[in-house]
This record gives sequence, structure tokens and C-alpha cells, in this order.
Amino acid sequence: MAASGGRLLYRCPQSKAVDAVRWLRPISAFDRFIAAAVHDTDTDTDTCSSAVEIHSVNLSFNPENPDHSRPLLHLRSSWPSPSRISSLRTSETRQKHLDGGRECVSVGEDGRVNLVSIAEMRLDHRLVHDSQGLVSYTAARWGSQAEFATGGFGFGLQWWDQRKPGGLVSQFKGWLYLEHAIDYPPLMSHKEGYPNNKVGGSSGTVFAWDLRRQQEPILLSGVGPTGTGQSTSESEVWEVQYDIHTQSSSTSAASSTKILPVMMCSEDGILAVIEQGEAPIELLAEDCAINSFDIDPQNPSDVVCCLEWETIGILLRQRRAISAYS
Amino acid sequence: MPGRPSDTKDALVPFPPEAETVPLYPVQHGVKPPIFRVFVSWSRGNVLQVACIRPIEDESVREERNGAGEGGDIGGKVMEVKLGASDGNVEEAERRRIAYGSVAPFALLQSRRNSLATIYRVSSSSSVTEWWQHVLEYSKSISELLGNTALPSSSVIEDPKMVFQATARPTPLKAAWQLMEIFYVDRHSFPWILECLVDWLGEYDGLLSDTEVIVHRKLVKLQEKLVNVQVIEDDSEYWEGISSALSIGWLEVVVKLLRLHGSYQLDQLDSRETENGLVEAVAVLVSTMPRMRLDLPMGKLGQCYRTKPDFVKGLEEMEGLAQKCMQLKQCPTSSGLVGLLIGILGESTEVVMAECLKSFGPWMVTHSLELLTTDSDQTEILLHEERYSLGGISIMELHRLIYAQVLSSHPLTWQIAPTYLVSCPKQGLGLLEILLYKQPLQNHVMILKNLEICRLYELERISSCVKEIAGIYHWKHGRKGCGIYWFQQAHDEARLNHIAQKLFECVGIADETSKRWEGLIELLGPEVESAGGLGFLHKYQNFKKSLQKVKDASSTDAAQQTVELLIQVKLLNWRDRPLLNVTETNLLLSKLQELSTAKLRPEFYQSDLPPRALSSVRLALATNLSRTFLEG
Repeated sequence: MAASGGRLLYRCPQSKAVDAVRWLRPISAFDRFIAAAVHDTDTDTDTCSSAVEIHSVNLSFNPENPDHSRPLLHLRSSWPSPSRISSLRTSETRQKHLDGGRECVSVGEDGRVNLVSIAEMRLDHRLVHDSQGLVSYTAARWGSQAEFATGGFGFGLQWWDQRKPGGLVSQFKGWLYLEHAIDYPPLMSHKEGYPNNKVGGSSGTVFAWDLRRQQEPILLSGVGPTGTGQSTSESEVWEVQYDIHTQSSSTSAASSTKILPVMMCSEDGILAVIEQGEAPIELLAEDCAINSFDIDPQNPSDVVCCLEWETIGILLRQRRAISAYS
Repeated sequence: MPGRPSDTKDALVPFPPEAETVPLYPVQHGVKPPIFRVFVSWSRGNVLQVACIRPIEDESVREERNGAGEGGDIGGKVMEVKLGASDGNVEEAERRRIAYGSVAPFALLQSRRNSLATIYRVSSSSSVTEWWQHVLEYSKSISELLGNTALPSSSVIEDPKMVFQATARPTPLKAAWQLMEIFYVDRHSFPWILECLVDWLGEYDGLLSDTEVIVHRKLVKLQEKLVNVQVIEDDSEYWEGISSALSIGWLEVVVKLLRLHGSYQLDQLDSRETENGLVEAVAVLVSTMPRMRLDLPMGKLGQCYRTKPDFVKGLEEMEGLAQKCMQLKQCPTSSGLVGLLIGILGESTEVVMAECLKSFGPWMVTHSLELLTTDSDQTEILLHEERYSLGGISIMELHRLIYAQVLSSHPLTWQIAPTYLVSCPKQGLGLLEILLYKQPLQNHVMILKNLEICRLYELERISSCVKEIAGIYHWKHGRKGCGIYWFQQAHDEARLNHIAQKLFECVGIADETSKRWEGLIELLGPEVESAGGLGFLHKYQNFKKSLQKVKDASSTDAAQQTVELLIQVKLLNWRDRPLLNVTETNLLLSKLQELSTAKLRPEFYQSDLPPRALSSVRLALATNLSRTFLEG
């Protein structure tokens, strides 16, 4: 456990690789759960070694005496997976099944874009697009009920609309990179793509696109083709999310065209909040890669992350006086 | 243990029936017979990679089978077989936890060594002091990693019969590290080294041996007895326990034991007053025993003296302890800790290293060698001297290389091996290149992590190799876009040109097919040069676009642009097949005509077209037209 600048990090060693972590929607006010995609290298290879685990989080957090509050991850259930998990998402609804609800966008390096839905104990999928391997996708994210964005190898981001024939609506221009993660702000006015690896270097770069100006990527972090920009991390950016906890420096964010603060994690162990035109706020600088993180939607001050060295980290930021309890 | 399959007919490789002791590892390949070939190769660590391949079927046969609904048979499968039984998962995980945690202190110490070496060219006293402090800091962080020191009991009410506090069993690794820290690093404690040893024994005596009679075991046994025995002083083990504890300086235990003496009991006090007085006097004496140390932790007895004269006495006692240890040497079951202690007291670096390796493994040797060199130039030379017998590397480097190989053999720890390899001046970099080059690249994330290490250590050649391997892997699996991306990143022009030739055959003239290529063109990016031979796709797209413009609104500008593109492209002269259909060619020809007549107009702006451009394009278009006719 370490504390600095009003932040508190708990490290929970897991004895197996943790590939992704997510907060789960709580069942009651006192229970908090996280889901983790794990991979155990110690088990025999012919048995299942990957799983999704659900842990309850016991943060008897006492701001008066933080050293004596003991966080505990308690394994509640484990679901074996036939192969190693590359991406993990949690449903925003409390229903047990996704029935009648949203579909999952599934993209692959084989160039297929599928919509997967769960119907009566089986998975249905609908092929939206097949690039026959000419384009490979590595990230996807819903934007609205009908629209979603995909990213992969290339110079931009694809914007899809299910209502349009063929689905593909437009390509957003960027620089050469690989995209690992995409997120949308709570307000649907902007969207963001998270690339890195510009030509000739591998500086971690985060872009934002305004839906109304698709051909003008906005550089949030990293060095652009003109050599300008502020770099938070020089390595791969693994995940990005809009950070609703960090107060935007422009107070009237709703009316301004400024992009909300964004949290990112990287291969060189940085967890930071970046904002257009502002100096980045570094939350963590670890000795190993931070492969994934998730901001708790119920308590946006709390962040769960997974570290390369078989550890789940829980970062508690100082809660804002009023908003935390409202 | 995997058993012998009852039906040996299923075995891929027949084995002789007399081979009873051969361990068998069943492989569940799930590939339908017949199996054409089995490939076996080493993967990471003790994992074998086994590939079972079916014979290649004729296209017609496969289609027939697919038609009959029997499709989906896999042509082969690659599996991994882990050899040897794992020795308890928890231990392995703990070993990795220590490995992860020691990376940062080790790297910090190396960088400090390097910066000190540049500041002070010759070893001065100030550099020695500074270095010693860095090593102490390093030692403390590693020690912390190995477990917490037992804290004194904080309970308010003490059980008088609990003479001996049972704490969580400390690890031998921690004990060994602490021991080396006492003797090699912690200069503050050098004058009080005996007292440090007493403290060390207090914590780790229980680990010294599993079978021999040691003070710890003696006291634990006595403790069990205390609960039942009334007149304890009649028991010889009571007195033995007291003298044993006293001999290694566990004063608290001695005083507690003394106060359990029968004369303290209320009903006895009157009749045994003198006896009790004597015992109490001894207890007081013991509890004020002079101790040669700076301070005492809470709950410890004795009086601290910081003066030197007692040091001699301390040395004598230490010799006694050493003698005792030497005697223990004969016993075959002595644990690694005793061996280590003998090595340290005998001032033999070789023995210390050998014991570390034998009992605690490569991690311990690699990390503890840093402690050994702090105080002795001789040891420094011994460890850093390049040896012919080791192929020109030093003992230090040898141990680091061994440890790095252990790390490299595990999928979760290979990423920290580079830290140790780069600290090996002779062979480290070569092995690092092999390590990165040999990493499996099926996983997209793994490729990026691998490239990140290449970038960190400026291994551009390996980085290019890795990108090429990734490109070939993806291309072979039909992920053309991924493959091209990696070839482009690796600046592999030869392969890009080769791919360009292949793709050229597929690029059609119909609009619906050209749409398919848009994603790929997008991927190639605006810089045509980096795309190698694939640049033709760009030109093709630009050409198609401007042709569309010409169709939409006939204008001189658009026509001119199209002509320019045509001149660049040479697409028209593509030998395999025409790329424009009859209508498109006719349209272009008429636009060309427009351009020629435009020259006659007064407002005509003389463009910088090559002089013979128009006629060459016209010729190319005409050829194209005739070929299109023939094909149609």
C-alpha cells in the first residue's frame, strides 16, 4: 500500500496474470465487486487455465487513519474460459441476460465486424462487415443505440451506423498507429480514439475526434507529425476512459467545446489524467506495465487497475466533498 | 502422474513394452486420423510444442466433404505439453513475486554503480562510503521483499507460562539474506556483530536444522512441558533450557524461565526465601547483562554499552560460536543456513556462493553477490575477473546469465530478464537479442510488448526482425492488412513489392470490388514511399477518384489532373490485363482531346506537362482500349 497526494494505492497480488479488470454494478450499497480476466500459467496445459473471476472488494476505508483500513479482495466466483481473454466489458443493465437488450460488437484481426446477441441460451451473431483480412480491427465501442466505432491497424477510426446500408459511415483521419481502446464521453457530443505508434516512432499518443469535424484529430498526448505536443508516456497506451472525477479546468464544460479529461494507462507503468492544453496529472508510475483499468461509475474517485506483475491495484482518490455522497 | 494408456494402438509413436519407467504425457490433439506428421520442438522452459498434421487433401475431396456436411475438420493442431510435475503453485507464485520485486532495487543499484564509476574514476574513500550506503539501501529493500520481521507481542496481558513466543515461521531465504547483510553490508552493526547474531538467532534459530537438537526445538519442547509440571526445577530439561538460552543470549527467555522457579509460588515463598532471593538475584543479573549495542528493541532485556573494550570479549565469544558451527558441519542434514554461516565465518566467498546456489537458487546468488563485494577488494576481483574457463566471462556475469535464463523460461517473467541481461557486459546483449527474437508472436499485445523492450534498449535490428516475423505470421493466416502493416513498419520493401504483385492480380475495375480496397489503402497511409510496391493502390485510388470527377462535371482542370495521374501511374501499360473498361477509356480519350484543343484557346495556361506526355498517354489509352476489346 502506498499513499501520495491524497491518493491511496492498494496492491493485491494474484499469483496469476491479470489481463483485464472491470468494476461490476453493485447489488447493494455496501457491496462492491470487480471482475478480472485471469490466466494461470502454473496449471497443466490441458486443463482450463483462463477464467473470469468475480471478487468482492472490502474497502473499510477510513480517511482518518488510512493505514489501518485493510482492503481485501475476496474471490467469490470463477468462470473458466476456453481461451485467454483479450477484452472484458460489463453490462450496464442489471438483467442476468442481455435478452432484448443491447448487442455486443465483436471485431477481429480477421477483419470481421459482428453483432452478437444472447437469445435463449445461445449466441446469435450477425455479420455487419467482412473485409476479408484486408483490414484488421483491434478495438470497438458503442456510441449510441445504433452507432459504434472501430479501430485497428491504420490511419484512422471507422464510424458505423447500423441503420445505413453497408454500415460504414465514415473514416476519421489520424496518423499511423494501432488502436487499443476507444471511449465515449458521457455527453454524446464527442468521441475519442486512442492510438499510438506514429510513423517512425512509438510514442504513446492519445487523440480525440469531434464528430462534427472528423478529419481533424485533436492531439491530447504524444507527439504529432509536426513534432509538437506533450507526451505523458512514450510507450503503448493500453486503455483510455473519460474521467468524470477530475474536474475540468474549464468550469463551464457543458457549453465549451473543450474535451473532457481522459485517463490513460501505458506499457511503461503510467496511469495519468490528460486534458487538452493542460499538463498531465500522473496518478501512478509503476515499475511494470499497467495493462487495463476501470473507473468505478458509481464512485468515480475509485479506480481499479491490473499490473503486469500479477497484481490488481485499487486506487482511491480523494473524494470531492459533496459529489461523492450526492 | 500420467498413466500408460490402456490401448497402445492409439499412440502416435509406438514405444517398446520394456520401457516401464518412461514417463508418459498424453496429448489430446483431437485431430482425426490419419495423422501425416508429428513435429516436436522445445517451447519456453520445460514446455514441448507438439504439432500433429493431417495429410493435405485434394481440393475436390475437401469440397465434397464440405458439401456432405462433414466440413470443419482441422488440418492439424499445435499443442503444448508441460514436462515434469509442478512443485506446488504457491511456491512458484511466491518465487515470481520476489523476482518482480527485486527488479527495481537491482536496476537502481546498477545505475548507481555506473554513475559512481563515472564520477570517481579511482576508488576514493568518499565513493566507497557512498557506494556502501547504496548497497545497504538495496539490501534493505530486498530484505523487505522477503517477508516482515517478527514484531514483539503487543498484547497487554502476558501469559507467564509463555516463555517462548511462537511466531509465524520465517523463511530461510529471509534468514540467509539477513545473515549476509549483518556480515557484509551493515557497517553500523560491525562493532556489535555478536549482538546482531543473537538477534538473528532469536528469529531464525528454528530454521537451522530440521532434525538436530537446536535451542529453538529444546525450548519448544520445554514449553509444552511447563503447562503440566508442578516442580519444574527438579527437571533437568528446565536447567538445560535456561543454560542453552543463556548461551545464545536470549535473556528474556532466561528471565521468564527463572521466574517459573518453584520458590516463586505463594505457598512456597516463606520456606524457600533464601532460595528465591538467589534465583531473583540471578534473574536481575541476567536482565541487566551488559550488551554491546546501540539500543534495544522494546521487550528486550540487558543494558546497552557502546564502548569498545568489550569488543574483544565479543570476538572471543564469536569464535566460540564459530567453533560450534564447525562441529555442526559434520552433520549431514544441516540446512543451507548452517553451511552459509560456516562459509561466512570462514571468510570463504566461494563457499558462500556455493551454499547460496545450492540451497536458495539462482535468484539468491545473483542478488547477494552485490552484498559480497561491498567490503573486500579481493572479493571484487574474484567476482569480476574474466575467466578463460568460463568462456571469458566473470563469475558475476555467469550467475546473472543463469538467473536470466530461469526468468526467460517462464511466460510471465521473461519480460524482466532483459534487466539482468543488460548488466552482463560480455554475453548479455547477444542473449537478449535471442530472447526477443524467439518470443512467440501469435498474440498482438505480446508483439507490442516485445517491441517496447527493443525500443528501450535501442535494438533496431531485432525490432525490424520481430516486425517482419509478425508480418509473415499474419499474412500467412490471411490477415492481409495486419501483415502489410508490419511489413511497412519493418520497411521490408522486398516483401511489400512481392505482395503488390500478388494483389495487383486481384484489383478489379468494377466499383464494388474497388470499395473493398479502401480500408487497405487507408492503412497504407498518405506516404506512398513507405508502402513499397503497394503504392500502386494509392495511385489507382486517386485515379479512380478523379475519373469520377470528370464523369460528374466535365472541366478542364479535372481532365488535366486525370492525365497527370495517368502519366505517373503506368497502370495503363500493366501487362497482365487492362484496368479500365471500354467506357472509361473512351471517356479519357475524349478528355485528352479536350485538353489538346484547349491549347488553342487564348486563356490557356501552359502547364508543366512533359512534352511528350499527351501523346504517350494517348498511345497507352489506345493500347488499353484494344486490349479491353479483346478481353471483352
